[in-house]
Amino acid sequence: MAAKKAGPASLKLAAVLDLNEASNLHGKLVSMRGSDLRIDASGVERVGVQCAQVLLAGVKAWEEDKKSLLVEKASDAFQKTMQLIGINNQNLVAKEI
Amino acid sequence: MKKKVLTVDDSRTIRNMLLVTLNNAGFETIQAEDGVEGLEVLEGCNPDVIVTDINMPRLDGFGFIEGVRRNEKFRAVPILVLTTESDAEKKNRARQAGATGWIVKPFDPAKLIDAIERVTA
Amino acid sequence: MDMNEIKEIFFQECEEQLAELESGLLKLNDGDRDPETVNAVFRAVHSIKGGAGAFGLDDLVSFAHVFETTLDCVRSNKLEPTQDVLKVMLKSADVLADLVTASRDGGGVDESRSRSLVKELEALAHGELPSSSGHDAPKPAAKAAPAAKVELPKPSDDSGFQPIPFSFDGFGEDDEPAVEGSLYEVIFKPRRELYSKGNEAALLLRDLSRLGEMSINCDTDALPALDRMDPEASYFSWKISIRTTRSEDDIRAVFEFAEWDCDLEVKFAEEASSNEELPMVPVPFDLSILDDSSAGEEETASERGASEEAVAAALSAAETASNVSRAARVAEKKESAAASAAAQNNAAAAAAGAGQTIRVDLDRVDRLINLVGELVINQAMLSQSVVENDATGTSAVNMGLEELQQLTREIQDSVMAIRAQPVKPVFQRMSRIVREVADMVGKSIRLVTEGENTEVDKTVIDKIAEPLTHMIRNAVDHGIESPEKREAAGKDPEGTIKLTAKHRSGRILIELADDGAGINRERVRQKAIDNDIIAADANLSDDEIDNLIFMAGFSTADKISDISGRGVGMDVVKRSIQALGGRISISSRPGYGSTFTMSLPLTLAVLDGMVVTVAGQTLVVPLTAIVETLQPEASAIHSFGANQRLISIRNSFCPLVDVGRVLNYRTTQANPVEGVALLVESEGGGQRALMVDAIQGQRQVVIKSLEANYTHVPGIAAATILGDGRVALILDVDAVVAASRGQSMKPEMSLAATG
Repeated sequence: MAAKKAGPASLKLAAVLDLNEASNLHGKLVSMRGSDLRIDASGVERVGVQCAQVLLAGVKAWEEDKKSLLVEKASDAFQKTMQLIGINNQNLVAKEI
Repeated sequence: MKKKVLTVDDSRTIRNMLLVTLNNAGFETIQAEDGVEGLEVLEGCNPDVIVTDINMPRLDGFGFIEGVRRNEKFRAVPILVLTTESDAEKKNRARQAGATGWIVKPFDPAKLIDAIERVTA
Repeated sequence: MDMNEIKEIFFQECEEQLAELESGLLKLNDGDRDPETVNAVFRAVHSIKGGAGAFGLDDLVSFAHVFETTLDCVRSNKLEPTQDVLKVMLKSADVLADLVTASRDGGGVDESRSRSLVKELEALAHGELPSSSGHDAPKPAAKAAPAAKVELPKPSDDSGFQPIPFSFDGFGEDDEPAVEGSLYEVIFKPRRELYSKGNEAALLLRDLSRLGEMSINCDTDALPALDRMDPEASYFSWKISIRTTRSEDDIRAVFEFAEWDCDLEVKFAEEASSNEELPMVPVPFDLSILDDSSAGEEETASERGASEEAVAAALSAAETASNVSRAARVAEKKESAAASAAAQNNAAAAAAGAGQTIRVDLDRVDRLINLVGELVINQAMLSQSVVENDATGTSAVNMGLEELQQLTREIQDSVMAIRAQPVKPVFQRMSRIVREVADMVGKSIRLVTEGENTEVDKTVIDKIAEPLTHMIRNAVDHGIESPEKREAAGKDPEGTIKLTAKHRSGRILIELADDGAGINRERVRQKAIDNDIIAADANLSDDEIDNLIFMAGFSTADKISDISGRGVGMDVVKRSIQALGGRISISSRPGYGSTFTMSLPLTLAVLDGMVVTVAGQTLVVPLTAIVETLQPEASAIHSFGANQRLISIRNSFCPLVDVGRVLNYRTTQANPVEGVALLVESEGGGQRALMVDAIQGQRQVVIKSLEANYTHVPGIAAATILGDGRVALILDVDAVVAASRGQSMKPEMSLAATG
């Protein structure tokens, strides 16, 4: 399945990334594979570990696909939680675009 | 933003104590008198955390917790069991039913608030 | 709302729970084995204990606790609720009630009684039979010790639960200038259940970070590829180094709620330096964004310090509870089965569950009732003046008035219904009195109640408690014989008192029947002669003799006993019943017992009446008393004796009562053919034909007490105000009937003796 030439897709994360959101988020990421992805984490208020797991798996999948996945505009809550739970993957915590 | 707490307890005394304690601590409080009512009001009130008694008429705490956990929308809501039962058996059953944590009665306000803070973001 | 108000609510709730408890126990006593009944009983005690704990009512808590433990044995089928067991429980319920009262009003309780009951309850919980409890009741936990005496909690009990650990060690180190604290290594590996039960690893790590300076390493190796992962599974685990002045227990306490759903290792690593091999991420102190309640570590720490004493105290209390309940632990293992059965039951009961209620200050209801009473009178007056001014009777005004009347009527009924309450609480109080008095006089008596849900106005309920109490005491003390006498007479040594309530033609009928020896008519008669109540040669029927016990100053007991002979006789009972617009009578069968029958109005506020004319006076006859009305024909009237007349109705004869003469409105006998006969049924049984001059109509009248506004008038129950503003008297049918019958007695006497 060849990726189409198109601009990077974008995904805005929900405010509450809890247990209920994990499956949603997973489904979205799976469906968006194959193209570059920009994730907007500006509206995130709460992050649960399960969503962090999904995001990290996503980062790895995109690496495998040799596509770019970047988290843009991470909210404070998003950054702090990632730091708290010890996730220091550059793609997830990069503040710059 | 105020956190919303749903309390479920058949004792008017305890309901009032919870209400005063939670309101003083700046929570928004919704109250139900037993498990059946608890499940009824759940949908409308969308709580951040639930505090429930175990021994109640109609539907006890165990049944109520199971009911919440079966609900797609609210299965992730933290539930604290408020009970005078301090023994492991009750706690074990509450956990099996899906309780997040517990508070032993007679609760003191600080402990209640502390427990709520622990399970909510 | 402040604590005092909540305490007030607590005591109100206690009242309700105590009533629930007693009625449940009585049901069990009658052989009810519905698990929900047992559950309700358990919950009642449990709930009292819970609230009492919150207010630090230690005596109440410890007694409730022992009681609850024993009830739990019943709940888990470990203890069969035999009559002997229930006897102990009923007594315990009484003591619990006393303790509640003492907690509310101050004052003490009979400590020896509660102590011995605690022993009996504990013996039951230990599987001992009630009879053996007198001697060597087990010593352990003579009662749950006050929380303050209990030492610090043990680290864990036999089932692996750690009661919220808390250590004072942490304080000791605070005193020293311990800048760094100790270093611990924590390995935390959550399982999927941790998340599905609403816990969140991120929050646990947040709380952990507050204990000190933390470095964290997240192990993500277990994370599968995106397309193969389960988004709700747990893949991450953590290795954390934390330098803290807190103890290992404090660290574990963070994971208190989660410990069963994760692998957790906490190791003391003293001088281990900063772990350079691991790529640790230092976690910042400022986590405020994740936590809107506390500004930072320092504040949190001091906050905790402040509440630590309280926590320790609460822990002690918890430990006390678990000590005592240990005995019942075996029992609780079996509980799941019982509880699931109960859950089904709950579902079934849910449909029948009580509707929603609100509590309203009684004053407000009374004010409303008064206003509605005025409204009824006003409406009647308005109707009357419209009728007087509009002969056609078909105008819109008339139709509107009819509707108004209907509405007024409905409002009144609804308002009355607000005050209507079941007699249950009063009946329940009686069962305690039976138990206590029977205990005192060494009799074995069982109280059977029926129709407890019969509703009657609250004022009536409030006022019947006292006379009923007196009658119950009387029945236990005098009515029922001693067990020996009963056995000798071939009866069950256990006596039975039956208390029944039912509605009958718009009144409430309360019957109190005992299966005792019945009235000793010879002795009653003799006593009455001795006391100059009757003439020595008076010719009295059995019924009349029985009713002599209601005479003032009459007491058949040879010795005045502590229980029923406090100078209060049945005459006082009778007077208080009469004051309520009620009547009381007795029927007795020697050897088989006596039955007291009280008939009371359902409400003290209104009455459906027939408005009649007697010798130019307007009277109201309660509709409930009237069976039918008829126009006598001369051929149906028969004279009998000097001035008695009978009327033949269909195939039977019925005494004719000339109301005008009985009430002294006229001196000569009225001609029955010119008037109307009201066939009434009197409480003593039998029918009478009351003769009145004419019937004006039927209407609902608002009762105005004559006693309160004037004085008691024989033959008259109360007064009312009619639509035209005139006052009319309401006839006391039974009194009139009785007066017509008891010609040999003085009017006052006859009313008092048989009314």
